[in-house]
Amino acid sequence: MDATYIQGSIEQLKTNIFMHVRHRTLLQYTGAPVINENQLFYLLLPFLNGEEWNEHIDKSAITVGIVHASLYEHDKINETNATSKEQQLTVLSGDYYSGRYYEILAHLGNITLIRELSEGIVNRCEHQIKVYESNQNSLEQWFNTISVIQTELIRRFYLVFNFEQYSSLMHTGLLLLQLKKEVRNLQNGHNSSIMKKMIESVSNEEKTLEQLLVEKIDMLQDLLHEYLHSSTLNDELKRYIRHQVECS
Amino acid sequence: MEKMKLKILYSDLKADIDIIEKELEKALNSSSHLINDASLHLLQAGGKRIRPVFVLISAKFGQYNIENIKNIAVPLELIHMASLVHDDVIDDSDLRRGRHTVKSQWNNRVAMYTGDFIFARALEYVTSIENKKVHQILAKTMVEICNGEVIQIEDKFRNNQNLKDYFRRIKRKTALLIESSCELGAVVSGVDEKNVRHLKQFGYFVGMSYQIVDDILDFTSTDKELGKPAGSDLLQGNITLPILLLKDHPTIKHFIAQASKGQVTEQQRLEMLNVVRNSDAIKQSIAISNGYLRKALKEVDALPDHPMKKKLRDVALFIGKRKF
Repeated sequence: MDATYIQGSIEQLKTNIFMHVRHRTLLQYTGAPVINENQLFYLLLPFLNGEEWNEHIDKSAITVGIVHASLYEHDKINETNATSKEQQLTVLSGDYYSGRYYEILAHLGNITLIRELSEGIVNRCEHQIKVYESNQNSLEQWFNTISVIQTELIRRFYLVFNFEQYSSLMHTGLLLLQLKKEVRNLQNGHNSSIMKKMIESVSNEEKTLEQLLVEKIDMLQDLLHEYLHSSTLNDELKRYIRHQVECS
Repeated sequence: MEKMKLKILYSDLKADIDIIEKELEKALNSSSHLINDASLHLLQAGGKRIRPVFVLISAKFGQYNIENIKNIAVPLELIHMASLVHDDVIDDSDLRRGRHTVKSQWNNRVAMYTGDFIFARALEYVTSIENKKVHQILAKTMVEICNGEVIQIEDKFRNNQNLKDYFRRIKRKTALLIESSCELGAVVSGVDEKNVRHLKQFGYFVGMSYQIVDDILDFTSTDKELGKPAGSDLLQGNITLPILLLKDHPTIKHFIAQASKGQVTEQQRLEMLNVVRNSDAIKQSIAISNGYLRKALKEVDALPDHPMKKKLRDVALFIGKRKF
């Protein structure tokens, strides 16, 4: 196994997700579903590390990707004006993907995963909506929110298929990658809603948000290296993860 | 008034409907105060709870146990509620049943997350049922409802549509969820296959009639009764049955053209309403709705003798005779 094989596996999963949610009209107006490849990598991590992986688990991984795509569609909805045909259909594409993931799991008869993913979506929505709440959250609470949004559904998938030994690595890896992305956006002046709230929550601190984020990133990087050092992951995967972080 | 009539109609199911209502409250409970506020807002807006009622009545034909039946009645109502929250974003609606919608009270994004939260709660709730068939029926229904909504958007302001297009649309938009309510209530309570089919078909026919009546009421009711301007469906480009029957009328043709450009004046809206209300289209639409009701009643006749047969007839007739 090498980086090409890993990338190929991610591409294959992506293709399978697209195939399962293909819809002529939605594709025409809203485009293909948006999939985060970093999340797909961690979804596949147990498989890539040689864990027992069958067709049922593979299909289940596809549904986790579909749920991510579904929720991402709804993140694209404009806060004040969603009257264009494209926006209207974006609302529906999220709902359609959501129905499709349920349909696939219903056919598999995996009621446990339906329950876990539903609970995961509930938790994720409760965190996503925090940016519209008046509560003042600490920086650590916002890190937790970002982490839940990025990792919750994969964590539930690991839980159902007994891959929990990969959870800590996945949490650290995905939070790290997302924070690096946010810092880049911050430097380019493109603040996400969550970053705006984070700026508010550090307004009384001596350091800027960017400085605090960089500190957190350094800490996560150290943690990731520790995990990799002590983990039983094969060497190629360790190299891939390090490269993923360096290039992000 | 309508809700009052329904309450009388459901009086012998009241204890179980109260259980459903309490479970809805519980299911919508969230650690997010914003989701709680939005959900409370939805619960207070009420609703006829038609879907849970159909679940309960259908379940009476089998081994009725409210502790099992609520596990399908509650999710069906939650799915309906969630789809309304998202529909209000799609339709840019500020009012529903005379109250502010979630999207107008907060914003579109809050409505999206609230809707997603409710959908997820519905699925979380229904997983207490292990029967694979129940999940397959419900999942298929959710996908088809969505397909119906996509078609509705594609068909907006489309002049060259016919009755078949309309029936295909309302089947998915409304009839399917009522059909599934009847079917799932029956499946969960172990009704035999033949009678599940009759109850399912009953739900389909009643659902079709229900949507046709809703489409008629959009023209014949007052703004106050509707809680939004009469004729809103057409203003948004939804060509419903009364309009399909009148689509060659010059006033209607002109109105659709203007509405598609967002250039309708209040005077034009009132003229359009006047044309529709004084035409035969309303009578013809009522006749078509009644046709579906007759088919629904035939399905009831085919069911074995049971005290709930009268209830099914009464609910069907109530739906068909809502005030025009």
